[in-house]
Amino acid sequence: MKLSISRYDPERDAQPFLQDYEIEPAPSDHMLLDLLLRLKAQDDSLSFRRSCREGVCGSDAMNINGRNGLACITPVRGLREPVVIRPLPGFPIVRDLFVDMTLFFRQYHSVKPWLVDREPAPDKERLQTPAERDRLDGAYECILCACCSSQCPSYWWNPDRFVGPAGLIQAYRFIFDSRDGATRQRLDDLGNDPYRLFRCRTIMNCAEVCPKGLEPVRAIERIRLKIAGIQDPAGGLDTHRPIAPS
Amino acid sequence: MKLRLSGPSAWWAQRLSAVLMLLFATFVATSLVAHPVAGYGQWRDWVAAPGVSLAFVVFFGALLVHMWVGLRDVVLDYAKPSLRLALLGVVALGLLGLGAWLLVILLRLRA
Repeated sequence: MKLSISRYDPERDAQPFLQDYEIEPAPSDHMLLDLLLRLKAQDDSLSFRRSCREGVCGSDAMNINGRNGLACITPVRGLREPVVIRPLPGFPIVRDLFVDMTLFFRQYHSVKPWLVDREPAPDKERLQTPAERDRLDGAYECILCACCSSQCPSYWWNPDRFVGPAGLIQAYRFIFDSRDGATRQRLDDLGNDPYRLFRCRTIMNCAEVCPKGLEPVRAIERIRLKIAGIQDPAGGLDTHRPIAPS
Repeated sequence: MKLRLSGPSAWWAQRLSAVLMLLFATFVATSLVAHPVAGYGQWRDWVAAPGVSLAFVVFFGALLVHMWVGLRDVVLDYAKPSLRLALLGVVALGLLGLGAWLLVILLRLRA
């Protein structure tokens, strides 16, 4: 199997370049991550993040044949050859397939992704009906892999000011949480700035590439409706069967 | 005033102006089908009529607002941060100029 992997050593290279590899997949190599680990045994300098190997930690997000995805749940069979593997687009490259996630996480933290207590704090549990809990479906499952934000053209053009689909789906998760006491402030924070939310042009790359099948664009739509004071649909966000790179 | 159109108010403005323009276009189309205009004199008299003039002003007002929101989005998305303010200023001046030109044309028609 032929692969072309983006390599970059900041101490040696002026800019990233594609290096060709040829490897025979073993019968046990089902996913691209298996192949990459086998390659690493051959070429120890090849660097990439990985951890859970089952699609829940989000560490091994990368651009595979032009499409973002998690290497650990991308089937090897059916990949167009040569398999071109690049780091997540638009993020600064630290080394090989490692990207700098600082700005991504700064945007995530900027939406205050934690419950803000109502005053006064309750004595007992913060109760929530099943219907209220359903509103969080399709948003809480986000693993912060950054596949969506790094495939969003609006995020490419304004990564420092546009929160991005990942941050915004988490903003949704807290705006629509019935236990949260800061809904007005969250909506003002996103709504009063022309950049934080409104740079979304519903391009929908985010929903297309999410490896968990989530749809950040729908979350953003619901936040827009809430900012505009229009009744938004009940229930959680739709999810779909994820489409792996091919 | 125009430069303050931002966030949710821009979102509303774009949609409301689109509806206004659609209503106007329907009104003009049905009027011209129902009472076809023969020659410049009849056209001028029709446009100069107070109701129609007002409809034209509302239409072009909605168009300018709609253009402003759309072009502002393009500038915010794609222009280099250092150039944004200048570009927005140029667009705003251009649209205000178009608005003034429109008023002059309509006033001349009525004279």
